[in-house]
Amino acid sequence: MRERFLTGYNDFVLPFMFGMAFILIWCLVGMIRIIAQLPREDRRRFFLSFLNPRILLKDIKDIFCDCLFHVKLWKRNKLLGYMHSSIAFGWFMLIVIGHIEVFFYAPHRAKLLYFPIFFRYFMAEDDSTMGGAFFFFLMDFFLLVVLSGIALAMIKRIHSRFFGMRRTTNPSFMDLVGLYSLWSIFPLRLLAEGFTADISGGSFLTKSLNTVFHAFLGNHVNMLPTWWAYSLALCVFFCALPFTRYMHIPTEILLIPLRNAGVKIRHPRKGYAEAEVYACPSCGVCIDACPMGVMKTHIKDTTVYLNRQLRRHNEERIEEISDKCLLCGKCTAVCPVGVEGDRLRIAQRSLRQYNITPDYSRIDTGELVRECSFSGPTGGKVLYFAGCMTALTPQIRKAVESVLTKAGIGYEMMDRDGGICCGRPMLMAGRFAPAEEMIRKNTEIIRASGASTLLLSCPICYRIFRENYSLDGIEVIHHTEYFDRLIRSGAISLGHTATRYVYHDPCELGRGCGIYDEPRAVIAAAGELVEADKHHKESICCGGSLGSLTLGFDKRQAMTANALNNLTKASPDSIVTACPLCLSTFHRYADRPVEDIAEIVDRNMN
Amino acid sequence: MKENIVIIGGGAAGLEAAGQLIRLGYSPIIVEKEDHLGGHLAEWHCLFPDMTPASDIVGRLAGAVSDANIFTNTEILFINHLKDSYNVMLSNGVSIIARVILFTTGFRLFDAARKEEYGYGIYNQVITNSDLEHWFRTGDDDRIGSVPMEAVGFVHCVGSRDEKAGNAQCSKVCCITAVKQAIEMKKRFPDAMVYCFYMDLRMFGKKYEDFYISAQRDYGVRFIRGRVSEVSENIEGKVVVKAEDTLAGKPVRVTLDLLVLMAGMVCNPDSTKVASMIPLQTDSDGFLKSKDNILEITSSSRKGIFYAGACTGPKTVPETLAEARSAALDIHNFIESL
Amino acid sequence: MDFGFGIAPSSTINLDKVDRSRFTRLHELEPDVYKCMACGSCSSTCPAGRFSGMSVRKVILALQRGKEKEAVRMLKGCMLCGKCSMVCPRGINTRHLILSICRIYNEEQQ
Repeated sequence: MRERFLTGYNDFVLPFMFGMAFILIWCLVGMIRIIAQLPREDRRRFFLSFLNPRILLKDIKDIFCDCLFHVKLWKRNKLLGYMHSSIAFGWFMLIVIGHIEVFFYAPHRAKLLYFPIFFRYFMAEDDSTMGGAFFFFLMDFFLLVVLSGIALAMIKRIHSRFFGMRRTTNPSFMDLVGLYSLWSIFPLRLLAEGFTADISGGSFLTKSLNTVFHAFLGNHVNMLPTWWAYSLALCVFFCALPFTRYMHIPTEILLIPLRNAGVKIRHPRKGYAEAEVYACPSCGVCIDACPMGVMKTHIKDTTVYLNRQLRRHNEERIEEISDKCLLCGKCTAVCPVGVEGDRLRIAQRSLRQYNITPDYSRIDTGELVRECSFSGPTGGKVLYFAGCMTALTPQIRKAVESVLTKAGIGYEMMDRDGGICCGRPMLMAGRFAPAEEMIRKNTEIIRASGASTLLLSCPICYRIFRENYSLDGIEVIHHTEYFDRLIRSGAISLGHTATRYVYHDPCELGRGCGIYDEPRAVIAAAGELVEADKHHKESICCGGSLGSLTLGFDKRQAMTANALNNLTKASPDSIVTACPLCLSTFHRYADRPVEDIAEIVDRNMN
Repeated sequence: MKENIVIIGGGAAGLEAAGQLIRLGYSPIIVEKEDHLGGHLAEWHCLFPDMTPASDIVGRLAGAVSDANIFTNTEILFINHLKDSYNVMLSNGVSIIARVILFTTGFRLFDAARKEEYGYGIYNQVITNSDLEHWFRTGDDDRIGSVPMEAVGFVHCVGSRDEKAGNAQCSKVCCITAVKQAIEMKKRFPDAMVYCFYMDLRMFGKKYEDFYISAQRDYGVRFIRGRVSEVSENIEGKVVVKAEDTLAGKPVRVTLDLLVLMAGMVCNPDSTKVASMIPLQTDSDGFLKSKDNILEITSSSRKGIFYAGACTGPKTVPETLAEARSAALDIHNFIESL
Repeated sequence: MDFGFGIAPSSTINLDKVDRSRFTRLHELEPDVYKCMACGSCSSTCPAGRFSGMSVRKVILALQRGKEKEAVRMLKGCMLCGKCSMVCPRGINTRHLILSICRIYNEEQQ
C-alpha cells in the first residue's frame, strides 16, 4: 500500500471536516450543559460512577448492546433489530477498520481526522498488500451490511406492516433531511469506492462494481465527483443531526452512564429529562404499545410525539399530551433506549401553577391512630390499608378480611372508616408538595400503630408506599404477595378447581412494582391459569387509570373493550385481577365474571 | 279475519294488545319465551297507587286472550323480510307468514351486581326491589326477617340516571315503587326505621303525590336526598350505608338490617336481538326507536312492525296498557288500509 | 367607631350581584361542570370530607353562588384520590375539574 498524494489532502474533505467539527462541538457543549444542569448530588454520583469498575463495565456493555447491537429491539422485533444494528454496528465497524488500516499502512496520517474515512482515495494498492485483501474484504462486507440495513429502512418507510408494526412515526421535515442524507451516505460511498477500486484495491463489492463501471463509464473522471458527493452527504447529515431524531445516537451514549449511575428525572426539562428527550430515536415502538392507540385520535399523544414537542418547546401540546396519558408505563417498558414516558409526563405536570394549595395540617392523626392501634403485644402485627378505591369494591376488602380471619392472622384496619389517601394520585398529577404531606401523615399513623407489616390491596398505594415512603422495619406487601407467602408456608391451602382463570397484570403492580409471579402462583393453586394475548410487562391498561387527568369517562370505553379483548383470547371462565380500579373498570363491560385474587383465595380456601 | 298478527312477548302489553285485537275480530299469535304469561307483572306482589294485587291484573289480562294462539317457552329463531310480509320462524318449529308484527318485548331489570359498591351479591343484607316483591308474594327469602328488622333502606336510581352503568335515562317507576315497598315494609315491621335515599323524587302520576304524603305522614318513612355511594359491613353483620344528606349538606351514615336496591329498567337484550333480525333501529338509550316520539310512538320505521309498552322506554303499567290499546287500533287501521 | 357589634351581613345570595366571570371561564374549560345534579355521591365517598368538609358538589354550588371563599376552604382539603370521579353517575371528570378550579380561582384574592 502506498500513498497516492504527497499532501494527503484534497478539497473534498472540507465538507466532511466542517460537519464533523460542527457535530463534535455541538455534542460536547450539549453534554457539558446536561451534566451542569444535574443537581449537585446527581453530578457527583455521575462522576463517581466512572470510578466504580462494576458500573463502568455495565456502561460499556450497555453501550455496545443498546447502541450498536440494539439487543432490546432484537428481542422485540427481529427485522427491526437487524435493520438498526446493521446500520449502527456496520458503520461502527467501517470506522474501526478504517482506523486500523490507517494504523497499519499510513501511521503518519493517523492524526488526520478525515484520513480513515477517505482512505481508499488517498491510498493505492501495490504488490505488497496481500495482507490488505483481508481488510478489503472486511470493509466491503460491512458496507454490504450497512446497505442491507438501509434497504430495510426504505422498505419500512414505505410499508411498515412488513415489520409487524401497525403504525410508525410521522417524520418531521428535518427528520426527512437527516433520513435522506443518511440513506445517501452509504450508496455514495459504494460508488466512490467502486470508481476508485482499480487504483485503491477492493474486494467482492467494490472491485466488481469497478469492473462493471469500466465497461461503460471508462476513465476515472467520475471518481472525484462521487467522493465529493460522499463528503457532502456526510456534511449534510452531521449538520442536520442536532435537529433530527438522529440526535439519539450521541445522546444515548450519555444517557446510559447517567442511568447506570442512578440519576433520575429531577427537573421536567433539564438534565436527565433532556437527555431522555434527545435519546428518543422516534422508532415508534411506543405507538403500537400505547393503550390509547385504539382510538386514532390519540396517536399523536404517544411518548414519541411528546419528545418531539419537548424538543420544539410547543407548550400547548406538551400540556395536552402529558395530561392525557394514563401513566400505564407500557411505553417505558417497551422503549429500546429507556425513555420513561410516564415519569417524563409527571415531571411536565409539575410545571403547572395552581393558586389553591392543599393543606392537610388540620387532619388529626391521633384520632386515626386510635382507630387502628393494636392492643397487647405488637410483634408481627398486620396493618391492613385497603385504600380509597377498595371502599368502592367491597368484595376485595371482604375477601381479604375473611382470608385473614380464617388463617387466624391478627390484623387491624387502617382505614375502616376512611383514611388519608396514599398520595400517589396527587403525585401523578405532578403536585409533589401535597403528596409529601400525605406521605408524612400516613407514615406517622403507621409508625404509631405498632404494626410490623403493612398489607395493601391497591397497587396504586403499593407503588408509592414502596417508592416514596420510608418505613424502615415495616414490611410493605400487596395481598397477592402475602397470600402467595401464606400458601408457600402452608399457613393456608387452596382447593384446586377446573376453572380457567386469566390474570390481568395491573399497571402499577406489574410494570410499576415488578410483581408478576406471585399472583400467578396463587391463581395456579386455585385453578387453571391461562395467559392473555399480551401479558406481563406487555399487559394492556384497563383504561380506568387515575393517571390520566383529561380523559373523560366516555373516552375510555374503547380502551377497556380492547383490554378485555386481549384478556379473553384464550376463552377463560373468569378474569382475575389484583387492583380495585381494574376490577370495577372491567366489571362494567365484561361478558364474564371479573374477580380479585382475594375472592378466589377466599372461595377456595380449605 | 285470517290476518296473521305476531305479538312478541306475553307481558302486560302483549296480553292487552292481543285482547283488543281479538275484540276487533283478529286472531293474534302470542310468542312468549317464559313458561307463563304476564312478564314482570307476574312476579310482582301488588301495584301502586291502590295496592291492587298484580295477580288480579294478570288474571284479567290473560282471561281476555284465552282464544288466542299462545306459544309459551318459545323464542324467535329468525325473521325474514319477504316482499310485503315477514316470515317468523319459532323455536318450536312453527313458521308464520305475517304482515304485522307487534313488539311487546318489554324491559329487563338492571343487574344490581354491576354496581359493586352497593354490595349486591357480596353482602347478605342487600337485595333488589324484585327480590323484595318475591318475598312479599311467597315469603320465601332467608335474607329477610331472619333478624329483627330495626332499620331498612331503599336506594333509588340503581342503574338509572347513571352514565357509568350505561343508562342515562330515568326508569320512571322506581320512585313510586320504592314508596310503595317502603309502606309495605312499614306495615310488616311497624317498629323499623325505613329510609329512602333518593336523588330526585318524581311523583308524576295520578295519586302518586298522595301516596308519597301518606308514606311520610302516616307511615313515617324518612326521605333523604342523597345518593348512596358506599356500603360496608360492620362486625355484627349489618350493612353500613354512606350517603350525603344534600339538604343538610352533611354526610350521613346509617346502619341497616336490610338494604333494598331499586334496580331500574334497561333495554331488553332479547328485544335488541330480535329487532336486529329485521333490522329495527334502536335509540341512544338502547330501547327500540319509535317512528316519532309524540305522534307515532307505537310505529316503527318499517311497514307492519309496531311497538307497545316498555320496549321503547321505561313505562308504568297504565301507560303500557294504554299504548297496547293504541297499538291494536293502529294495527287495525293498517290492515284496513292494505 | 366600634360599638362591640356589627350589622350581620345579609345571608341572602343576591344572584344579581354574583360575579360570574370566573365561573364562565371555568365552564369554558370544563363544560361538564353544569352536568352536576347534586346527588351527593362525591361528598359521601370523599375521604377528605371527614377531615375538612370537602365536597365537590358543594364546591360547584358555592362557586356558582359566588361564595368563592367557602369553596376554596373546602378545596384545600382535597387529596385528589379520584373516588369522586369513580362514583359520579354523570361521569364528570371531577379530578380535572378540581385542578382547573385550583388554576382559575385564587386563595389570596378573597
